[in-house]
Formats: sequence, C-alpha cells, structure tokens
Amino acid sequence: MGSKESYRNELRSAIRQLGDRCLYSASKWAGELLVGIDQDQPRSSAIAGKATPSSSARPHHQQEHLHRDGSSFRRSRSRPGGIASTPSPVEDEIDDGADYYLLAKSYFDCKEYRRAAHVLRTQTSKKSIFLRCYALYLAGEKRKEEEMIELEGPLGRSEVCNGELTHLERELSALRRSGAIDAFCLYLYGIVLRDKGCESLACSVLVESVNSYPWNWSAWSELQGLCTTLDILRSLNLKNHWMKDFFLANAYQELKMYNEALAKYEYLLGIFRFSDYIQAQIATAKYSLRDFDEAEIIFEELLRIDPYRVDSMDIYSNLLYAKESFSSLSCLAHRVFLTDKYRPESCCIIANYYSLKGLHEKSVVYFRRALKLNRKYLSAWTLMGHEYVEMKNTPAAIDAYRRAVDINPRDYRAWYGLGQTYEMMNMPFYALYYFRRSAFLQPTDARLWIAMGQCYESVPLQMLEEAIKCYARAANCNDREGIALHQLAKLHSILGRSEQAAFYYKKDLERMEAEDRQGPNMIEACFFLPGTAKPRRGLKRQRCTAHGSWIILARFLLIFYMVYTLSYLQEKETAKSLLRGLKMAQSGFPSVEFEHFGP
Amino acid sequence: MAGASKEGFSGIVNLTPHKIALCHLIQYFAPAAHSSLPIPFKSVSQHNRLGLFLFSLTRACNDFVEPSLDELITQFKAVGVGGFEYDWFVDWLIEDLTSRLSALSSPDDLYNFFEKLRGILSPAEVTNMEDEQCFLDPSSHLGVFIRCCILAFSILTFEGVCHLLSNMAAYCNSTDPMYGLPEEDAFNTDPVLQESHEYHELNRASDKYIHDFEAGSSAGESSSFHIQAGRPLYGVPDKLFLRSKWQIQGYLNEQADLLERHAGSFRFNTFEATLKHLQKMAPDMHHVKYLRYLNNLYNDDYLSALDNLHCYFDYSAGMEGIFTGSSAPPVSGIQVGRYESALLCLGIMHTRFGHSKQALEALTEAVRISQQNNDDSCLTYTLAAMCDLLSKIGICSTSGIIGSQYSLGLGTPLSTQQQLLVLLKRSLKRAESLKLTCLVAFNRLALAGFYLKHVNRPLLSFGPKASIKLRTNPTHVCKELRLSSYLLSEFGSDGLSLPNDGGTFSTAWLKNLEKLINSPTSFNGKRTNDYDTFHFTSQPNPIPGSVLQLAGASYLLRATSWELYGSAPLVRSNALIYATCFADSASSSELSLAYCKLIQHLAVFKGYKEAFIALKLAEEKFSSVSKSHIHLLKFQLLHERALHRGQLKLAQQVCDELGILASSITGVDLELKTEASIRLARTLLAANQFSQAAAVACSLFCECYKFNLHVENATILLLLAEIHKKSGNAVLGLSYALASLSFCRTFNLDLLEASTTLTIAELWLSLGRSHAKRASNLVHQTLPMILGHGGLELRARANIAFVKCHLCDPSFSVSDDAEMVLDPLRQAAEDLETLEFHEMAAEAFYLAAVVYDALGRAEEREAAAASFKNHIVALENPGSGSEDEQRNL
Repeated sequence: MGSKESYRNELRSAIRQLGDRCLYSASKWAGELLVGIDQDQPRSSAIAGKATPSSSARPHHQQEHLHRDGSSFRRSRSRPGGIASTPSPVEDEIDDGADYYLLAKSYFDCKEYRRAAHVLRTQTSKKSIFLRCYALYLAGEKRKEEEMIELEGPLGRSEVCNGELTHLERELSALRRSGAIDAFCLYLYGIVLRDKGCESLACSVLVESVNSYPWNWSAWSELQGLCTTLDILRSLNLKNHWMKDFFLANAYQELKMYNEALAKYEYLLGIFRFSDYIQAQIATAKYSLRDFDEAEIIFEELLRIDPYRVDSMDIYSNLLYAKESFSSLSCLAHRVFLTDKYRPESCCIIANYYSLKGLHEKSVVYFRRALKLNRKYLSAWTLMGHEYVEMKNTPAAIDAYRRAVDINPRDYRAWYGLGQTYEMMNMPFYALYYFRRSAFLQPTDARLWIAMGQCYESVPLQMLEEAIKCYARAANCNDREGIALHQLAKLHSILGRSEQAAFYYKKDLERMEAEDRQGPNMIEACFFLPGTAKPRRGLKRQRCTAHGSWIILARFLLIFYMVYTLSYLQEKETAKSLLRGLKMAQSGFPSVEFEHFGP
Repeated sequence: MAGASKEGFSGIVNLTPHKIALCHLIQYFAPAAHSSLPIPFKSVSQHNRLGLFLFSLTRACNDFVEPSLDELITQFKAVGVGGFEYDWFVDWLIEDLTSRLSALSSPDDLYNFFEKLRGILSPAEVTNMEDEQCFLDPSSHLGVFIRCCILAFSILTFEGVCHLLSNMAAYCNSTDPMYGLPEEDAFNTDPVLQESHEYHELNRASDKYIHDFEAGSSAGESSSFHIQAGRPLYGVPDKLFLRSKWQIQGYLNEQADLLERHAGSFRFNTFEATLKHLQKMAPDMHHVKYLRYLNNLYNDDYLSALDNLHCYFDYSAGMEGIFTGSSAPPVSGIQVGRYESALLCLGIMHTRFGHSKQALEALTEAVRISQQNNDDSCLTYTLAAMCDLLSKIGICSTSGIIGSQYSLGLGTPLSTQQQLLVLLKRSLKRAESLKLTCLVAFNRLALAGFYLKHVNRPLLSFGPKASIKLRTNPTHVCKELRLSSYLLSEFGSDGLSLPNDGGTFSTAWLKNLEKLINSPTSFNGKRTNDYDTFHFTSQPNPIPGSVLQLAGASYLLRATSWELYGSAPLVRSNALIYATCFADSASSSELSLAYCKLIQHLAVFKGYKEAFIALKLAEEKFSSVSKSHIHLLKFQLLHERALHRGQLKLAQQVCDELGILASSITGVDLELKTEASIRLARTLLAANQFSQAAAVACSLFCECYKFNLHVENATILLLLAEIHKKSGNAVLGLSYALASLSFCRTFNLDLLEASTTLTIAELWLSLGRSHAKRASNLVHQTLPMILGHGGLELRARANIAFVKCHLCDPSFSVSDDAEMVLDPLRQAAEDLETLEFHEMAAEAFYLAAVVYDALGRAEEREAAAASFKNHIVALENPGSGSEDEQRNL
C-alpha cells in the first residue's frame, strides 16, 4: 500500500475525472473517502471537506449517480491497475470538441440527455463517446421509467426495457473489438450487457473496467451486484488494488459473510479512519451479527457527524425497532423526514416507527410508498409482509414475502416469513417447504430450525423424530432463547427415552443457571431429573452419591423458593411432597435413596 | 354468446394494432350506414366467410401473442379466396387495409377513426333492414368487440395514444420487406458476442416461440413470429402484443390440457422458454406459473415443480380456481385465500412422484384446511385425490397417517381397503350433492375399480352376523360403470349446458386454416367444395374433451374388468370402442393402454407374429410418448415368446429389463413389480430350478398379501401349483391349486378358474391312473369356458389334458374311437405351432405318435415322430433366432 498522501492524490484526480464524466455517484463516494483518510498531513481541502461532511454513499441504486452536478475538468485516462500510480492531470486539449463537450455536459447536468447526446454526435474523442453513450443510456432509462407507468396493463406491467440498449451494445462492442475503448466505456458496456441479461459477459467486461481504472466505485458495485454466489466472486480475475478491498468487503457483506467483511473493514479503517462509509458498513455488519449495542453506538456517532445522512439509516431503524426504542426511532424518523421524505429509506424508517407503535395500517402505507419509490427494495417487501401478518391479512402477507423472494431468492427472512404465515394458517406441512428453504440458506440460525421443529411437532403432523433432529440442529447453533434444549428434553421424555431426556433437561438447567434465568421450564426440568435418578443410579452408582445429590438438593431448595415466591401454584403440591422426601433423605445422607420420591 | 362476451371483454381491452386492423376488417364486413361506396363482395358466402373469420380471430386462443399483419393477411387471403383462383377483390381489400392502417400517422387520425367506427353500430331501436344494409348488432359478439375497442380508446391517456401510434408504425412496417437496417447484420456477426453463450440465448429468443408437439393432429400447433427490429423514434424493440387476458387464459388452459394428456411428448425446454417469455410480458398472469409447474411435473423435475407450485399459490392464493366447480363467491372485503387447493395440488404432485407419505400428509392437511374454510368442493376433490393415492400406491398401514376423522369412532382401526371404500363413498356423496358431475363420474369409476378387485366386507365385525358371502360382486362393477357413463347424457341435457366453450371452436377453426395455408396440396384438393373450406373441417363439439376422456375411461375400465372376469371378446370390443371413439380426447397413455390390450389379444389368439407386427405399428404411433405401456407390452411379448421357444437366457434378460422399469420406492408401481417377479419365477420354472422359483413366488405372495393384491395372489398360487406339478410334488401342488381356485371364485376370475381347474386335473392325472375319471370330469367342466374364451395356449393345454384323460381311462380304447383323441391332438399341435411353444408341441406330437402307433398307422406315426423330434431339437438349441430380439432390447 502506498502512503496516505498517494491515496489522496489518487482520489483527488479520480474525483475530478469521474465528475468530469458525470459519474457523480462514484465521484461522491471517492470524495467521502478522500476526507476519510487519516489526518497525518492535514490539508486545507481535507479539513474543509471534513467541516461540511457530505453524506457518505453506498450506491444502493444504480440510477443514483445520475442526478448530481460535477466539475468540468478534463483528465486523461489513468494507467491501468497502477497501485501507486497517481494519475497525473493532463491539460485539456484545445480543440473544437472541447467546447462541444462543455455544452453537452451542461445539457447533461440539466438532465437533457438526448440533447447532450445530440451535441456530441460528431465528436470522436473517447470522453465524448463515453458521455454521448452514457447520456443515451440515461435517456433510455428515463423513458423506461416513464413507460413502466404508462404501460401498466390489466396483466401487470410488462417488463419494459431500455430502448437504447441494442444500439449502445452494438456501438460499444465494436469499440471493444477495435481496442479503442476506455475504462468508462467498458463500465457502461458492462451495465448495458447486464441489462440485456448477458451476465457473465457483463462480469468480465466490468472486471476489465475496474482493472484498468479502479477508482470508479460504481463499476465495483455493479460488479458486486453480479456476484450472487461466492463461486462467482472467487472466479473473478481482479488486479490488486486497495479499491479491491472495499469491493471484497462489500461483496462479503452481501453474501452474508459478516465476519470476513468485518475483518476487511477493520483493516481498511486503519487507513481511512474517518470514513463514514466504512463505519456504516461496520455497523450494518454488526447489526446483522445481532451485535445491537455496538452497532447502535456507531450509528449514533454517524448521525452526530453527519446529521443529514439517510443512507444506511433504515438499518439503524431496524436496530432501534429490534431494541424497541420508541423515542429514538421517532426522532430518527422525524430527522429523515425533514431531510428527504421521498427516499425509500425514509419511508421505511417511518413505517418501522408505526409498526413499533402497533399502527400496522399506517405502517403499510409507508412501506407501500417506499416500494413505489423503489420496487426492488427487498427489506421493505419483507417488512411489509410482517405488517400484513400482524393485520391478519395472510394473502397480502404471502404476496409481499413472495415478491421479496423473487427479487432475491437468497433472502432467508422472507422465506421464513412465508413459512410462519402458513404455519399461522394451520398448515404446518405446507409451511415446512419454506422453513426448509430458509434453513438451507442460513443453516446456522437456530430460529429457523426451531420453527421447523415446531412444525414437525405440531398436532396434525406429530412427526417427533424429525422434530428432534431439527431441535438438535438448533441446539448446536447457539440457540439464544433456549427453546431447543427444553423441547429436546420434552420430546425425548414423551418418546420414553428418559436417558436422553435427563441429559437435555440437565443441559437446559445448566444453561438457565448460567444465564441466571428462571421460569416454568426450570421447574419442569427439576421435576423430571429426580424421577430419572433411579435408572441412572443403577447404571453408575457413584454419580448419585454425595456430589450429585447435593446438586439435586440445591435444586429442590430452588424449587421450594420458586414455588413459594413466584407462586407456581400447580406445582406446589408436587414440590411439597418432594420436600418431604428430601427431609427423609437428609437423615440417611450421604447414601440417599431417591426412589421414594418420584415426581 | 352474451356470457362469452361478458367473460371475454369484461376487463377493458388493451388496444393493439391488431385490434385496430380487426376493426377495419369489421368495417368492411358491416360498413357504416352512410358509407359512400358499398363493398363489392363476390358472393354471400364470401361475406359470411369474412364474418366467421373475424369471429374466430376475436375468440381464438391458439396463441398468446397477436399475429403480425403478415400472418393476418395470409390468413385473410386463404379465407377470402376460399379455394378459388386469383381474386382481385381480396387483393384490393388487403391493399386498402394496409394503406388505411399506414395512413394512421397522427393521434388525430386515430381519434377520427374511432369516431367513424361508432357509425357501424346500428342504433338499437332502428331495425329497418331495407336495401341489404348489414348493420352490426351492438350486442352481438363483434358488436361488443367494437364497443370495447371504442371504450378502451376513449379512456386512453395521451401517452397511451402515442404508444398505440408507434406500435401501429411497427406493426405496419413488419410487412415491408425493405425494412431492416444494414447495421443489423453487423450486429449479428459480432464475434465477441457470438463467443458468449448468452448471445446464443439472446438469439434463440427470436425463434424460441416455435414450439411444436408431436402428439397427433389436435396438438400439432406451431406458431412462429417474425420479429423485426423497428426503431421508429426512440428505438422501439421487437414488438409483440399480448392478446386479451381471456384469450391468454384460454391458451394456457389448452396447453395445460395438452400437457396432461400427452405428458412426455412436450419439448420441455421450448415450452419452458415460451412460458418464461409470457411471464415476462404479463407478470401478473400467475396462471403461467401453474403451467410451468405442470411442465416440470410431467417432465419429472421434482425440485422445479415444487418451487413453481409454491410460487403459483403464493401469488394467486388459490383464487384463480383451477378446479372447476370451486364456486365460492368472493367474500367482499378481506380476501381470505384458498390455500387448501395448494395443498391438494401438492398432494397430487407427491402422488405422481410416488412419495406416498408426503402425499398423504399434504392431502390430510388439505382436508383439514378445507373443513376449516368450508370449502366443500375442494374437500371433495381432496377425498378423490386421496382415494386415487390409496388405490395407486400400496400402503400397508394407515395408522397415524389419516386423521382420526376417518376411523369409525369406535376405536377400531380400519384397514387400508376399508378406509379407501369409506373415502370413496364419502367423496361420491359429496360430489353428488355439490353437482360436480365430472367428479361423480370419476368416483364411480374408482368405485368400480375398487369393487372389481376387493371383496366388499362389512365394516363392523360385531353385532348379529348375517351370512356373509365373501365374493366380489360383478353387478356392482357393472352398475358403477354404467352410472359413470351418465355423465355424457347429463352434458347433453340442458341442465348442465357448457359454461363456455372457451373459444375452442374458433381456435380449432383457425388452426385448420393454418394447416390449409401450410399445405397447398390439400388446398387445391378442396377446390371443388366451397363448403369444406368454409368449415375448415372443424365442428363445434358440444362435449368438452375432459368429459369425453372420462367417458372413455369407463370403456377402458370395462375392458380391464372383462380381462379379469375372463371374456376375451368383450375385452377386445371395449378396447376397440375406446380406440375408435375416444382417441381424440384420450390421453396418450390411456390410448396406448387400449392398444396394448388389443395387441395382447392378438398375441394370445393369433400368435406372436401378428402381435409383433401390430406392436411395431403401435410403437410408431406412440414414438414420442413416454411409452411405458407399449414398452411393458413389448417386454411381455418378448418374454412370453422366449419362454415358449425355450430361449431361457433371453427370457432372463427381458425379466431383468422389466424389473428396471419399476420405480425403486416401496409401494409404487406394484403391478409392474409383481409382473416382473411372476415372470422371474416362470423363467426359473422353465429352467427347472424349482426351489428357487418357489422361493420367488412365495416371497411375492407375501408381498402381495401385505398390499392386499388378492387378484394377483390367485395367479401366484396357480404358479406355485404349476411349480410343484412340474417338480413332481403333485400333492403339494394340489393344495396350492385349490387355494388359487378359492381366490378365483372369490373374485369371479372365471377364465383363471378354468385354468386352475385344468391344472388340478393335470395334477390328479399325474397322481396315477386311478384318478383319471376325476380328472376327466374336471377337464370336461372347464371345456366350455376354455374353448369359448381361452387363448391358443390354454386351449391346447385343455386338449392335451382331455386326450391324456382318455388315454389313461381303462374303459377307453383307441381303436374304437380314434378321432376322439386325434382331433384334439391335431388342434393342439396346430395351436402350439402357431405359438412356437416347442415343449408342449412336442408333447402333443408324442401323444399323437403313440396313438398312431396303437392304431398301427405307421406312416402317420413317423410323421408325428419327426415333428416331435423337430420340436425337441428346437427346444434344445434355442439360441438361433434370438439375434433380432437381442437387438430389439
């Protein structure tokens, strides 16, 4: 890795080049990164940047980079793959084309894309070609968005495609063949190919692009979007560059490899210490790892530094929802509402707030709005499904979950939601399919295995053996709520396997003791354990002597305590009789005879 | 028609260029009252043809996208010319149409056009029909179509008009051969793209709609679209326009029907691509996912089928009503969802894949949810599906599988069979009360099948014991079969008039038209008869295909039942009825079954030579179909012949092949497995490995007993008797034969009973001369049945046994009445030579030689002895003729 100054220089020129080509989103991302570099050599620009922090962006949506303004410098193309290769600024060539370019760029900035393309129709410089193609692409995208609304027929909106794609593909592929294509046009070509459905070719074109010009974050994130599996990611032939680390971290995060992602981010944080983007990503990963407290601290800090931030704030709202922080969530909702109410994230945050308040109808309204703004907003579909479930509108809930699954078939939450909905409708056998799908995607999540176990265990199915297998999986997956152990013990005792049942009851007790918890489960376990003492003692006599019986004795006392303090009335009588037996046993100690007091 | 139009155009029509072209054509058909010049139709029939053509175009469901202008013109020409020579009028009309269409170049033109279109609808009150003016009745089909178009246009936004206009340009340009950009070629030869695999997929998109089936005439549809790149202003890509929702639904239903009937003959990938394309064009048409499920199901792709099934029901919530008759009115307010049908489908899917346990779980849950949601019709269908499952897949115990609601409430667990009967009766009762006619017929057939193979025992085994006759009751079978055929007559009566023919007539009409266009020879051939081309050989069928299929199934079941009861002529006639009358609506697997029965009949009565010729024809006919029946039949015939010829190695090989055909899951394909085991035992018997043969037969008997296959048990017991007879243990053989006899009597298996009786006679004979009288009596008993209905082999066996009895009888003297034994022997030898059954033929000739010897007719004795020797030699050197069979395998 080069020195921090070289990073700065790279980023500075990249920002200018990207901005000059109207790739504003990538330029914004680079800018945020630039001011995020550790201040060992303070520079006026960096400090100025720090004073007015712009919102850091993880470009969620590909069209985002369309709507920002930029500078009008002209830079030469950087040399490919240079790790320390700081692209040196090259003066604008003085030709007629430059003026046209300036005009085209102004048109572009005013969102008159077709006009911009028209102005550049005779220009042959690489930059002009890129801007012309890019403008055409965006014009097509704009038209596509309009047509999507116009063409909504009785059979749903048919998939409108960008009308410029064919034309662009033809031109760009010809350029690529003749070798006269630069990294930016390659990036555009990659997008065009992806839109046309040629994903593997798009992947290789984008790899070419980032290898020759690594500072274009948009290209990286497009590439990330194409890496739907780890295999694809591993098969990419990427040159080493520090931008690759950002890409990998992001890709790991999207592939749910949170620990790997965190490691990468921690490493990057060493260089870009003040990067909001990295912080937000770390917080998101921590949230996904259910490390709520740490994530919350980071999010709070982010908001303090950058009060007008909307990106990643939906994750923060999810976190607050999970922690049931009513007032914080309402504050957040208020804040984003004032910043930009027509962002999908904002709508989602507001919806989350209403959901937390139990106002599900209102919540659905805001989720709908979020989805109107971005039809592919995955988590909004899933969350809306949850709301419909609360409203007992199961078909709508199923529809919402299903749409989430269709957008991303690897979204285990939506699969789980589908399963839960069907289970709620008393269709455990049908629900099993969905739980199976979700457990397949997230095999380490105990909740999914427990849900599956509950289906098998349910009254209509009564497939206890299968249920036991599921609970055993859950117990191995760090089951926080401790349902699995208890159920395992119970099922084993139902099936008459007292040996295993005792084992699991004991484990459950140990867990509860370790977590300092009490409850009816504990009483059940305590009642069961002495009952099995007899057969166990027969097998291994020494186990039931002094030490073991002291433990049991202590438990009896605990039961006694609980029965009389917490008034578990139905257990009272049993406890009393046990206690009587205990008294008798005390006289004969240490050779306790437990067979007198069965539960 | 009112109903049809209500259903057809209830949603507002989305205006497409094709519809505008139709509107133009309708204008020619029924010009506006104040039209300046009349359209010079050549004849009234030409005018009518145009009307019929337009009617068909607005209703046909032969595709989901609308035809291009080119296709429309081709069709129109065919209709207009109608077999006659060049017609200037049609050409003029086409030219006029294209020029009028391309004249629509501004939004205002469209407004004016629709303004004018109003003129052709006659005002409802004015009905003066003077001066041959043809008014369009506003409530007629075409009238409604025009009104819908006008309405759709009037609510169109300006953006919509703009789209329509650019679509019109693309539509008109598609006929222009000069259209097409030079860069198009440059694009196509792009080497970078062509390297990539995806590019080929892209290219395939243009011809992926060409899907064709090879499943007979009704399925022979092929549709291709000419895709032209047209980029008039903003680069409109290849334009294809969806038909109206109702037409797409009709198309999908038709495809589903074809899929179910001709499973396996569909090209999986092409159809899948078509469906994917349709799904892209109409994402809210969830029915497409159901079709994808069906396609996966019939191509045995379990995982995809499961995914698509769940996907379909997640989106549709079971509200699309695939099961006709599920007619719960939509509850106003909150949509409830009818997920019980999802469970029903899931159960059916598992049944098809042979997952009996999962299927039962799913169906049980379906029953529960149907009850919970008061969905009676779904409940009825579920019960029927459950019966189907129980009768198809062997399940030894039902404990813990079906909910307690089906036990008798007395704690007595029901056997699977009893449970099946209870379910069948309940399902039938429900279906009757809900007036689900097809289901009633289906249930009756299932009941007939049940009565055929199961003794109807009382469910409760306590209380005053009436004398119980433990026999099946053929009259029950007959009754159910007869009742199931009432389905047809019910469809004839007006009580159950068809809901809607769904445009099938129009679809068929257009398809025939297409065929006519594609094959000019038939076009010329039909020249003489104007009437034929007018009808395009299509008649509207008053009975839907599914009903006909059910009605046909009853004939097939009749054939099967007669097969069991042992009446060969009735089997043959019923199979013939099925193959001739119901072939059009039959599924390929059922039709092939009928063919199998006919071929089997041939083999048994005419020998193998004829049977194999027929088999070859059948194989050709069902070449594309998953030909399990035909396949099985071929193995059966090969095995039988190999056994007769003494080619034991070949027989063993065929046996092994047969075993592979069956699924590996226990309880599935039981009949096939039984068949394979029986044949194995017979092969071992022929190889004189008696103990092994007996072991196979015994274990098979246990298996069949476990799964309640008692009819098969009769055969197995007889086989055991044969094994012991051949091994020389006649006493043991007798006990098996008697057991078999009682099974035969219980299930009324008359022919098998005769065969068993014959075996008993043979067993008695082998016990010594003293039992000849008894044996002779038994043989005489069986003769009427065997000579009436038995095949060549059985008849020969009876003849030989008859002769043997006489020869053993001390009171019979050959010299007194030689013809008494010689005639049956001649008959037997002839039959056995046809069958190439060397072993028995040798026996017949041996006996003949002995008789001739006793008579002192030396010459004939030598001839018989020579024949005997030939057969023995052939039996001992069986390998010669087996090459072609080896190749056949």
